[in-house]
Amino acid sequence: MKATALREIKGSFGRFAAILSIIALGVGFFSGVRITTPAMIDTLGGFLKDHEFYDYRLVSSVGWDDKDVKAFADEDDVRFAEGSNSYDVQFIRDEDNEKKVIDDADKFVLKVHSLPKKVNTVDLRSGRLPKHAGECVTDASAGLEIGDRILLTDGNEEDTVDILAFEELRVVGTVYSPLYIHWERGNTSIGSGNLSGFAYVLPEDFDTDVYSEIYVKLDNDDTIYSDDYKDFMDSHKALWEVIAEEQAEIRCERVRTDAEKEIEDGRDELKKARDEGEKKLEEAEDKLIDAKEELDDAKKELDDAEKEIRKNEKKLKKAKKELDDGEEQLAEGKEQLDSAKKQLSQSGTQLDAAKTQLDNAQAQLNIGRQQIDAATLALDASKQQLDSAGKQIADGEAQLTDGENKLAEGEKQIADGEAQIADGEKQLADAEKQIADGEKQLAEGEKQIADSEKQIADGEQQLADAEQEYIDKVYDALDEVLWMLDADQKAELLSNSLTTPEEVVTAVFGYLTSSQQTQLVEAKQKIAEGKLTLEKSRAELEAGKKEVAENKKLIEEKKKELEAGKKELEANKKLLEEKRAEFEAGKEQYQQGLSQYNDGLETYRSSVTQYTDGLTQYGDGITQYNNGKFEYDQGLKQYNEGKEQYEENKKLLEEAKKQYEEGKAALKEGKKQFEDGKKKYEEGLAEYRSGLNEYNSGRMELDKQIANAERELADGEKELDDIEDAEGFLLDRSTNVGYACFENDSEIVAQVSRVFPVFFVLVAALVCMTTMSRMVEEQRTQIGMFKALGYSNAAIMGKFMFYAGSAAVIGCIAGYIAGIIAFPYIIWMSYTLMYLKLPISIIFDPSLALMALAASLLCSVGMTWVSCRHELDETAAELMRPKAPKAGKRVFLERITFIWKHMKFLHKVSVRNIFRYKRRLFMMIVGISGCTALLLTGFGVKDSVGGFGDVQYDEIFVADGDVHFSSEDNGEPSAKLTKALESNTSAYKLMYNSAWDMLYGKEEEKVKAVDVIAPEDFEGMDKFFRFVTNDGTETVAPPEKDEAIISTSLRDRYGVKIGDELTLRELHLYVTGVFDNHVYNYVFTNKQTVEDQLDESVDFNYAFVNFPEGVKESEAAAGISQNKNVRNVSVSSEVRERMNNTMGSLDYVVLLIIICAAGLAFIVIYNLTNINITERLREIATIKVLGFFRRETSAYVLRENVALTAAGIAVGLVLGIFLHRFVMAQIVVDQVSFKTRILPISYLYSVVLTFLFNFIVNIFMEIKLDRINMAESLKSVD
Amino acid sequence: MSFVQFKNVRKVYKTGEIEIQALSDVNFEIEKGEFCVIVGASGAGKTTILNILGGMDTLTSGSAMLDGQEISRFNKKQLTAYRRYDVGFVFQFYNLVQNLTALENVELAAQICRDPLDAETVLRQVGLAERIRNFPAQLSGGEQQRVAIARALAKNPKLLLCDEPTGALDYNTGKAVLKLLQDTCREKGMTVVVITHNSALAAMADRIITVRSGTVEDMRLNHNIMNVEDLEW
Repeated sequence: MKATALREIKGSFGRFAAILSIIALGVGFFSGVRITTPAMIDTLGGFLKDHEFYDYRLVSSVGWDDKDVKAFADEDDVRFAEGSNSYDVQFIRDEDNEKKVIDDADKFVLKVHSLPKKVNTVDLRSGRLPKHAGECVTDASAGLEIGDRILLTDGNEEDTVDILAFEELRVVGTVYSPLYIHWERGNTSIGSGNLSGFAYVLPEDFDTDVYSEIYVKLDNDDTIYSDDYKDFMDSHKALWEVIAEEQAEIRCERVRTDAEKEIEDGRDELKKARDEGEKKLEEAEDKLIDAKEELDDAKKELDDAEKEIRKNEKKLKKAKKELDDGEEQLAEGKEQLDSAKKQLSQSGTQLDAAKTQLDNAQAQLNIGRQQIDAATLALDASKQQLDSAGKQIADGEAQLTDGENKLAEGEKQIADGEAQIADGEKQLADAEKQIADGEKQLAEGEKQIADSEKQIADGEQQLADAEQEYIDKVYDALDEVLWMLDADQKAELLSNSLTTPEEVVTAVFGYLTSSQQTQLVEAKQKIAEGKLTLEKSRAELEAGKKEVAENKKLIEEKKKELEAGKKELEANKKLLEEKRAEFEAGKEQYQQGLSQYNDGLETYRSSVTQYTDGLTQYGDGITQYNNGKFEYDQGLKQYNEGKEQYEENKKLLEEAKKQYEEGKAALKEGKKQFEDGKKKYEEGLAEYRSGLNEYNSGRMELDKQIANAERELADGEKELDDIEDAEGFLLDRSTNVGYACFENDSEIVAQVSRVFPVFFVLVAALVCMTTMSRMVEEQRTQIGMFKALGYSNAAIMGKFMFYAGSAAVIGCIAGYIAGIIAFPYIIWMSYTLMYLKLPISIIFDPSLALMALAASLLCSVGMTWVSCRHELDETAAELMRPKAPKAGKRVFLERITFIWKHMKFLHKVSVRNIFRYKRRLFMMIVGISGCTALLLTGFGVKDSVGGFGDVQYDEIFVADGDVHFSSEDNGEPSAKLTKALESNTSAYKLMYNSAWDMLYGKEEEKVKAVDVIAPEDFEGMDKFFRFVTNDGTETVAPPEKDEAIISTSLRDRYGVKIGDELTLRELHLYVTGVFDNHVYNYVFTNKQTVEDQLDESVDFNYAFVNFPEGVKESEAAAGISQNKNVRNVSVSSEVRERMNNTMGSLDYVVLLIIICAAGLAFIVIYNLTNINITERLREIATIKVLGFFRRETSAYVLRENVALTAAGIAVGLVLGIFLHRFVMAQIVVDQVSFKTRILPISYLYSVVLTFLFNFIVNIFMEIKLDRINMAESLKSVD
Repeated sequence: MSFVQFKNVRKVYKTGEIEIQALSDVNFEIEKGEFCVIVGASGAGKTTILNILGGMDTLTSGSAMLDGQEISRFNKKQLTAYRRYDVGFVFQFYNLVQNLTALENVELAAQICRDPLDAETVLRQVGLAERIRNFPAQLSGGEQQRVAIARALAKNPKLLLCDEPTGALDYNTGKAVLKLLQDTCREKGMTVVVITHNSALAAMADRIITVRSGTVEDMRLNHNIMNVEDLEW
C-alpha cells in the first residue's frame, strides 16, 4: 500500500506539487502576515526589554531627590527606580560657531538626558559611552558625528543654563535610546521649536541635586502592548498614583522643612554678621573722628590763605568774568554769529540751497531771466510778434477787409470794366458806323464838289460866253454907233480908249438907242449876275470842298479815335483779364490769408495764453527770486553786520584777554603757593576720606549683605509658600511617542493579515479538493480492486490521505519557514524608515505553526476524506465498473436563442463545458479573482502611498514652499524680511502657525499634536492651498470667526466631525469643514479667532510662498533663508521628493504581493487546467483523431481557461477595489494620510499580468496537449 | 495501384531499453469501395495497422499508401490534415463528446471538413432522426455507435476505419451496426475497413486480411459474401 502511495506521488508529481505548493503558498502567506506584527513587536519589544524601558515616569513640580528615588525603589514590584534629568538645550556646532554670522538654522535643540544606569539604558551604536564630564553620546540620527564639539548658544533659558555644568560637549558615541524608538523627536519651547535629537551626558554634568523625573521599571517583562502587560499596569495604576502623590507630598514637605530651616539658619547668621559688622564699624568711626580734628586745624590755616587768594581770585574772577562775559558775549556773539552763521550757513545752505536753488533758480532765473529776457525778449518779441502779429492780424484783417473790399471793388471794377468794355465796344461799333456814314457823306460831298466844279466850269463857260456876247454886243453896238455916228463923234468916241468893253460901253453907251442900251445893260447885268452866281458857286464849292476836307479830316480823326478806342478796349480787356487773374489770385491769397489768419489767430491766442502764463510764471519767479534775494541780502547784511561787530568784539576781547592773562600769571604764583598748602591738606583729607570711604563701603557692604540675605530669606519664604501647591504625576509608557505610535503602526500588518489569508486558505482548500477528488475518481477501479482484495476502507483511504497529507506537511513546513522569514523581513524594511534600524527577530510561533499545519491538513486530508468517502461507500463491483461519464446538459444560455444562434459552434462547446464543471468554474474564478484582486491591491497600495506626495503637492498644497520665521515685536515680519519675501517670491501669504495639542476621544483624554495655521483672511489662498472635499468635487468654505476647517486625517483617525467643537487646549473651535489633505494634520482657522480666544496678539511666523517663474527654486529659497529671522524655508518639490523616496520602500511590499499573486494564479490555473485535461483525455484524443489541428485543439480546451480567466479578472477587479480600500484603511502612518486611489494603469497592469500568467500556463498546457496520444482514445475505459 | 497499399511495414515500439516489434513485414492492399475486414487475435497488431492506416501513428520502415499518397511520409501536420479530410473513425467505445448532443457530435466532425454531408441527413440515414437532440448519456450503446458512424460519415471520408465497432454492443445491436456499415459501403461505394477479433464477421467482407503476430498471415478476397443478417457468432 505504501509502495503504491509513493509510486503514486512519483507518477503524478505535478498533482502532488500542486497541492504542495498551494499549501506552501497559503501557509507562507498566512503565517508570514500573521507573524509579522508579533515579530515587529518582538524586535522593538526585545530592545525595550533589554534596555529596561520604564513603566512609570514620575514627575513632580518640585522635582525629586535621592530620598524619593529610594522610596520608590523600596516599593513592591519595583525592579529599578532611577532619577533622571533632562533639559532642552540649544547647541551650535563648534565649527559653525566660528562663522562670522551665525545662522539660526545652524542652531539645534537637543534633549539632554543624564546617562541612566538602570532604566532606559542606551544602546551604544558606535564610539563609547561618556566617561568624563563634558562628553556626550547622541542620537544616531541627529546628524552629529563622533568628535564633534557642540557649544551652548545664548538662546537657552536661564534656569536651564544655571543647572548645566558644561559650556560645551564633545560627542564620543552614538546610541539608540528606548525613549526614542520613533523618528519623531518631539517639540520644544526654545529655538526652532523642534527637537533635533537627544544627547546623554554623565549625571555630573547637571549641577543639581534635584531630578527632573524618576523612571521606574517594575518587575515585569510582559510583551509590550500585550494584554498581560496592560492588565499588570492596570492593576498597579491606582496604587502608584497614590504612591506618586504621597511621595510628592513628602518631597514637598521635605523641601519646605529644609527651606524653613535654611531660612532660620540664615536669619541667625544674618544677625550674627550684623552685630559683628556694627562693632567693627564703630571702632573705625572713632579713628576717623581723630583724624578729622587734625584735618580741621590744617584747614583753618589753609582757609586764611585761601581767603587771600580768593580775593585775588575774585578780582581775577571779575576780570575773568568780564572776560568770560566778553567771551560769553563773544561766544554768544559767536554763537549768535555761529547760529547766524549757521542760520546763515543754513540759510546760506538754504540760501546756498536757495542759492543753488536760486542759482539754479538764478541759473534757472538767469536761464529763466535769460529765458525771461529771452522770454521777455521772446515775450517782447513774442509780444512784438504778438503785437505785430496782432497788428499783422489787424493789418491782415484790414488787408483782408481791404482785400475783401478790393476784391469787391475789383469785382465791381471788373464788372464795370466789362460794362465799359461792352459800352466801348458798342461805341466802337457806333463810331465805326459813323465813320462809315461819314465816309459815305464824304463820298457824296466829293461828288457834289465834283458836280459843283462842273457847274462852276459850266458857269464860267456861260460867263465867258455872256461876256463874249456882251463884248460882241458892245462891239456891235460900237460898230453900229460908229456907223451911225459922225466921224467926230466917231473920233471923239474913238479918242476914248476903247480897249476894255466897259470903256467901249461907257464910250458908246450914249450913242446907242435905249433898246440897245437896255440890251447892253441887261447883258452887262446878266454878266454881272452870272459872275456873281459863279462867284457864289465858287464860294460854295470852296466851302463844300473845305467841308469835305474837314469831314475827311474828321473821319480820319474818328478813325484814329476808333483805332485808339479799339486799342484801348483791347488793353482794357487785357487789363480786365489781368485784373481778373489778379482777383482770382487775390481771392486765393485771401483764402490762404484767411486760413493763415485763422491759424495765426489761433497761434496768437495760444501764444497769448502762453505768454500770459509765462508772464505770470515769470512774475512769480521774479517775486520769488526777489523775495529770496531780499531775504538773502538781508541775511547777508545781518551776517556782515554781525561779523563786523564780532570782529570788533573779538578785538576788544583779545585786549581784555591779554590783561587777564597778565593778572592770571600773577595769581598763578599765589595760587601755586596755596596749592602746595592745599596739597598737603588734601593729602590729609584724602587719607581721611579713604578712611571714611572704607568705613562707608564697609557699612554699605554690610547693609547690602544684610539686604541680600534678607531678600534671599524672603525669596525662600515665598518659595516655601509656593511649594504648597506641588503635585506628583504618574506617566506611563503611552506618553512616549515612539511607544504609542508603534502600537498603531505594528497593527497595520495584523489588520491586513485578517483578510488576506482567507483567500489563500479558501483557494488551497478548493485546489486540494478538486485535485484529490479527481485522483480518487481516476483511481476508482483501483479502489474497487483493493476493496475486492479485502483491504479495509481505512487502509485504502490511508493511501490517499498519505498522498495529500504528505504534500500538505511538506508544503506547510516550506511555506511556514519561508513565510515567517520573508514577510517580517521585507515588511520591517519599510518600518525601519520610521523606527530604529534594528534587525528583525524571526519568531517561530509553535502555535501558529500548528494552526497552519492543522489548516493545511484540513484542506488536504479533510478534502481527501470528503472526496473519498462517497467512493468508498460503493461496493467493489460498482467501483470496478466505469463511472458513467457526466451527462451533458444544456446551459441557460441556450435558452437565449438569439445569442446562442449567433455563436460559433466551437464557442458553444466551450460555453457548455464551462458550465458543465461548476466546481471548476467556481474555483477558477476564486483563484483568478484572488490573483487579480491581490495585484490590484498591490499596485493600488503603491499608487496610494507613492502618489500621495504628488497629490498633496500638485493638487492641495500648491504653494511652492513655506517659510517659518520670527516676527518683530509688533507681530509683523521685519522690513528686511518683507523685502526678501517680496524680491524672492511671486506671491506670499503671512500666517500664524503653531503646533497645538488637540484633545480627543470620548472624554478628551487623548492628545494629538496638530498644526494650526491661521491667516488673517483666506483671500487668495487658492494660490497656496486648495480646500476641497475628499472626492475633490466641492470646495470647502473658509472658516469664519471661532470656526475651523480640518484635514481629513483628523476626521478619519481622531473622529473629529463637522459640527464638533475642536479643543486645542485653550482654543475651542467649531469645525465647519473637512478638506482633503495627506501630509500633516492641519487645522485652519483665522488669526483673529486665535487672538480673541487667547486674549493676546499672536505674531505672523509662517508664510506660504510661490516662487517666480524662471527662477531656480533653491536659489529663491536661499534668498529668503539668508534673512536672520527666517528659521526654515522648505521647498515643496524637495519635500515631495523626500516623501516619495521614503514611501518607495513599499515597493518591496508590493513586490511581495505580486509574487504571491503570481504564485496563486499559476497554481490555480495550472492545477485546474491539468485536471481539466486529464478528465477529458479521451475527448481531446478523439478530437485530435477527428483531425483538429494543434491550434484548434488548444483552442478547444484552453478557450475555457481564457473565458474563465476573463470572468475571474472581472470579479477580481471589483474585489480588488474593496480589498485595496480595506488595506488602505489599515495603513496608518502618523502625519500622513494616503490618497486612497488606484490609477487606471494599475487596473491595466493587474489585468495584463493575470492574463500573462494564464498565457504562460496555457503554453505549458499546449505542450501537454500535444503530447496526448491519440491511441488513448481507443483504449477501453479502465 | 490499389486504393490502400501496405508494403513491408514494420513498427517497433521502444520503451527505454526494450524494443517491441509490433509489426513486421506487413503487406496488403485494399481496393476502392471494398468492405475489408482485418481479423486477428488480441495483440496480433491489427490496432497498430489501423493506427498507421488512420494516420494516428507512424511506422518504423516500409510504406503505407492511400489513394496514391504515401501517408507514411507525412509529417505531423499532414497527418492531421489526412485524418481530417480523408479518414473517418468508428471506435469500440464510440468516443462521443458527452457534452454535445448527437447532432452536435456529428457537426463537430462535419464543421472542420471541406465537403461535409449534412449532419441531420446523415443522422437520419443511420436511423436516429428522432434522437438528434439527445446527449450521448441519453442514448443506448447501439445508438451511440450509430452517432459515431454518422460522425465518421458526415466527414465524407475516403476511408472509413472501424475498430471493433461491435465490441461493446450486444449481438443484435452489433448486427444492426454492421448492417449499417455494409449498407454504407454498398450504397455509397465507401471503402470500409473493419478491425475485429471476431472471425465470424469476415464472412460479410469483400476482402479478408488475417493478422497474426504482427504480420499478415493471409489476405484473400471473399467470393461468398454473406449478408449481415445471416451471420452467426
